[in-house]
Amino acid sequence: MGTVAARRLGVTMVRKRGRDIVHRWEGNPIITLDDLSFRCNTIRNAGAIKMGDEYVLLLTIQSLRGVHRIYCARSANGKDFEVSPDPFMQPEASGPCAVYEQLGVLDPRVVWLEGAYYICYDALSPHGYCLGLARTRDFVTVERIGIVSQPDTKCGVLFPTRIRGKYARLERPSAGGSIWVSYSEDLEYWGWSDAVMTPRGGFWDNDRIGVATPPLLTEAGWLFVYYGVKETSAGPVLRLGAALLDAEDPSTVVGRTNVPILSPREYYERVGEVPNLVYSCGAVFEPSGEIKLYYGAANSCICLGTTDLATVIEACLHGEEEY
Amino acid sequence: MRRRIGRDVFHRWEGNPILGAEDVPYRCNTVFNGTVAKVGSEYLLLLRIEGQQGYSFFGLARSPDGFHFEVEEHPVLFPAREGEFCIYESMGIEDPRATFIEDSYLVAYTAYSGYGTRIAIARTQDFHRFERLALSSGPGNKDGVLFPERIDGKYVRLDRPIGLDVGSIWVSYSQDLHSWGHSRVLLTPRPGYWDSYRVGASIPPIRTARGWLEIYHGTQMTASGPIYRAGAALLDLDDPSRVIARCSVPLLSPREDYERIGDVGNVVFPCGAIVEDGEIRMYYGAADTYLCVATASLDDVIRCALDEAGGD
Repeated sequence: MGTVAARRLGVTMVRKRGRDIVHRWEGNPIITLDDLSFRCNTIRNAGAIKMGDEYVLLLTIQSLRGVHRIYCARSANGKDFEVSPDPFMQPEASGPCAVYEQLGVLDPRVVWLEGAYYICYDALSPHGYCLGLARTRDFVTVERIGIVSQPDTKCGVLFPTRIRGKYARLERPSAGGSIWVSYSEDLEYWGWSDAVMTPRGGFWDNDRIGVATPPLLTEAGWLFVYYGVKETSAGPVLRLGAALLDAEDPSTVVGRTNVPILSPREYYERVGEVPNLVYSCGAVFEPSGEIKLYYGAANSCICLGTTDLATVIEACLHGEEEY
Repeated sequence: MRRRIGRDVFHRWEGNPILGAEDVPYRCNTVFNGTVAKVGSEYLLLLRIEGQQGYSFFGLARSPDGFHFEVEEHPVLFPAREGEFCIYESMGIEDPRATFIEDSYLVAYTAYSGYGTRIAIARTQDFHRFERLALSSGPGNKDGVLFPERIDGKYVRLDRPIGLDVGSIWVSYSQDLHSWGHSRVLLTPRPGYWDSYRVGASIPPIRTARGWLEIYHGTQMTASGPIYRAGAALLDLDDPSRVIARCSVPLLSPREDYERIGDVGNVVFPCGAIVEDGEIRMYYGAADTYLCVATASLDDVIRCALDEAGGD
């Protein structure tokens, strides 16, 4: 029995699984404006990491004036979050980063690397999007390493280990709309850049793509979720897919999902400041193999989707049978 | 009536253009944007030549006096056909800028492909054999020029990334020419000015007593496309991220037929200059179709950068 028919008959049908590889949690959205103790314009995306037993989200919140700041939210179960009333990161008022953060700091992506949490975020100013890099140990205090790219580059994330002796990051320069990899010996000077993955003509990700979640090293390679954009006459549709990169040489793509793992379908994904958008900056990979994917919906609220590692890897490696 | 001086701070040589497609000993579409080096007593121009297919490569021209050039029989550098540079040069190599630093020339040029434009760096001694060193920027960046000396032990580069559709000149630093950082925005377009649309580095910076002299190009958007002009700025010798002065008026604007008429009209685009006996001799591409030369006294150019030349 379809949902429409069920509704007509007055029967409440609970959907057992979503229509995508990622299953939406039935309590979605998990964080909305109503969960905040202050006024703001929208909640956008969230970086995610598990610190001990605690789930930590770094939310991008746009103020009523339009400036982006990053707030910390914490949870014991990964579903019910408490958002702190004060920003964890906001545009610097002085210092070398200030000019490049005038319009905000947003879309933080967090990894645990060599004893600290590293946050790569978009620094936005009239000069464009640059990558900023910061470090924290407790999500209370934060130390900026600096602005580490030129414009327009966004959606940056560090790999959680060095690769062949160098720090590595994925990023999305605006020119070409592709995902690139760059390397560094000291986190401040970056180079040896190479294109990794490009938009696919005719696909759901035909216009531009960008990194969503930090890469996780699996037996099949570096696994990460990415977003793909398709332009329509009514504006872009943003969906999520996944890809696998070679463990030693992340410029080599080992696998890539043929189809999205999550597409905007629900009301809260269709309606908001930027409709038809699901976008992620972070996921928690549980020891059980479960993936908790935290995603922003319609640039207006934060949602939770779940799936498991084996399913996503399989979709990356053998996705061509999906249609 | 013969005009004695130009209408700009830079005076055009009366023999302009010094090179056109008919001066190239093989068929090509155009020859323009060239960078200059004086090797011994000989002047060399590394030229951007656009082939008939539409992609660009580099040729070399020689001159005993800096005005009368002979283009060599064969091109000296083609887009890479193998190796790491190959996919990023698939649509050509463009706009070379040669800087003499530490006993060799480093040529910063634009590598062009479907991924966008990147700043590549190659090393040469003789402008015949080139060793490609690094793809030194991400895509979407161009107009890279290297300073002729290290500052605080680091190589320094000016370049022109695009941020939110704004094209500004930035400065970046490197220890090894491969990894770059500490990037800072330097010169941005000025609303209402001749350089209101985009600005980009043009010639490799020249050390002067008043600071690093950078002749840059600025564009103004019009209903029929952009107008490219050349202007000047002075940067602090010890901290080139500090702008000391910037001209309010251009030093050279397209006015002559060879600057107005061509594949891309209304363009003057310098890529190199030489200073001799207090005179700066600037080589520039005109209308993406010719190579020209213009001269000015270095003092006049600095006065203009300091905005002491008068005029508005």
